[in-house]
Amino acid sequence: MSAAPLLVVDDIHAAYQSGVDILQGMSLSVPVGGFVLVIGPNGAGKSTLLKTVFGLLEPHRGKIALGDQAIGGLAPHEIKRLGVSYVPQELNTFPHLTVEENLRVGGWTIRHDAKRLRARMARIYEIFPVLAERRRDKAGSLSGGQGRMLSVAREMITEPRLMLVDEPTVGLAPNLADQVYELLQTARRAIPTTILLVYQNVSDALRHAEDVVMMNLGTVKAAGPVGQFGEDRVRELIQECLLG
Amino acid sequence: MSAAFKFPPSFHRSTIAILVAAALMMLAPLVTGDFGLHVLTISLYYVILAASWNLLAGYMGQFSLAHHAFAAVGAYTSGLLGYYLGASAWIGIPAGVAMAALFGLVLGRLVLRMRSIYLAIATWAFAETVHIYLTADYQFTRGELGLMVKPLYGNVDPLPYYFTFLALTVVVLIGLRALIDSPLGYFMRAIKDDELRAKSLGIDTTKVKITIFSISSAIAGLAGAFYGHFIVLLSPQMVDFSEMAKIVIMVVIGGFGSFLGPIIGAAPVQIVMTYLQSYGEWNLAMFALIVMVLMRFSMEGLASLFTPLWRWIWKRHA
Repeated sequence: MSAAPLLVVDDIHAAYQSGVDILQGMSLSVPVGGFVLVIGPNGAGKSTLLKTVFGLLEPHRGKIALGDQAIGGLAPHEIKRLGVSYVPQELNTFPHLTVEENLRVGGWTIRHDAKRLRARMARIYEIFPVLAERRRDKAGSLSGGQGRMLSVAREMITEPRLMLVDEPTVGLAPNLADQVYELLQTARRAIPTTILLVYQNVSDALRHAEDVVMMNLGTVKAAGPVGQFGEDRVRELIQECLLG
Repeated sequence: MSAAFKFPPSFHRSTIAILVAAALMMLAPLVTGDFGLHVLTISLYYVILAASWNLLAGYMGQFSLAHHAFAAVGAYTSGLLGYYLGASAWIGIPAGVAMAALFGLVLGRLVLRMRSIYLAIATWAFAETVHIYLTADYQFTRGELGLMVKPLYGNVDPLPYYFTFLALTVVVLIGLRALIDSPLGYFMRAIKDDELRAKSLGIDTTKVKITIFSISSAIAGLAGAFYGHFIVLLSPQMVDFSEMAKIVIMVVIGGFGSFLGPIIGAAPVQIVMTYLQSYGEWNLAMFALIVMVLMRFSMEGLASLFTPLWRWIWKRHA
């Protein structure tokens, strides 16, 4: 991780219930333009990490910084305005709004800049022609893959500096999983943006990431460039996590 | 909000439908007498109230129980200005709208952070406060004695009032449709779908809710102010809970959350209630029963009967 960090998470502790910390001194650093993959067994605190960075959960200890600004304790909409997007695990489109309305809703922070909004809508439709075709359809009528595409595309409208993506292929057919990675890579090149991805299906995800952070019990188990995470090593690490 | 924005076909289609329906309604004086026109005029008042409440409850998911109170704020503002200062309706009505919007803004700031049931209770408490005030401070508001309001046109011939309310309804409905299809409209609908999700997109949901609440209150105030100059005698009865119940019944029978719902729900309910008036409160109980049965089987109401026809018409012109 040589480039200047965009996101620095330093020794954070966070809990859904006071006294039961899910994150127990978690630290990581995401370089500008990087693609960092967070892996780890179930319950390691991967999703909680993303929620905490996005302000959905407040850390009671430690620091989170975006560039040189501290963002720990800010509300999600404030963090969003600083250029951070969050794509949660569950499908997060608005089913009763049309595809176009969903995209426009994603553009709240640039709603007064008509020119920019128009240009970005056009760009999104260029990148994802399927969405252009279905722009007048309700998002609820899209297939799982298209819905996922819409969630990611909607986050791209604001051209975020950092995209937090949580298990983007949950509930999708295996052949669609590859398409989702394509989608994220497209977003990364097109904007360009930085990606912090949480994922369980390790072998799939490793092909796409640049850096890997392995979590266990709310803290870092191992971290480094993707080259250090061969299949054998990952298997060993996971065994260590599970068997103690 | 944004120049990149173009109204979708739904807006143009609805506008055409509203204008066609209004043109047909203009023929009503040919087939009905003064009493019929009077009932239709009052029905149009309820169309405006029901449609603007549906904006809040049906489109944004904010179940307010103070809509009738905002109508009363509009009516009493204009009525009192005329009674004490001799102000004309053309000053009183805008003042009534402004006052209702202001009350909406203040109440909205206080209650719109609350969730569903708390919001309903808080708005209901506000409405009851208005009711009690209008009754108790009778030296100023004339309470149950009734506040005399100057008629809009110097007489009480129902024809000009009917056309006035028809024009007002057309303007309000087209305005509401434009709002629903506008950027503010889809932010509002996104809040109904999932407020937390909307927040995580950076949307200032409280601001959107307060704006819509004030607009909806202002429309209720507008309807109320015109209504006052039509019925010429105001009483705190206007803020009786049965009035709110009536609005809810109209929307649910017509179709909750659909644009057409309150428009086609209001008149039948008002007409049937007018003819069942001799049964007093039983009138409301009967409608409550219909609402319960409807909610049990379908929330789509009468409007759903028109959906196939609507699709068929526009398919041919797509």
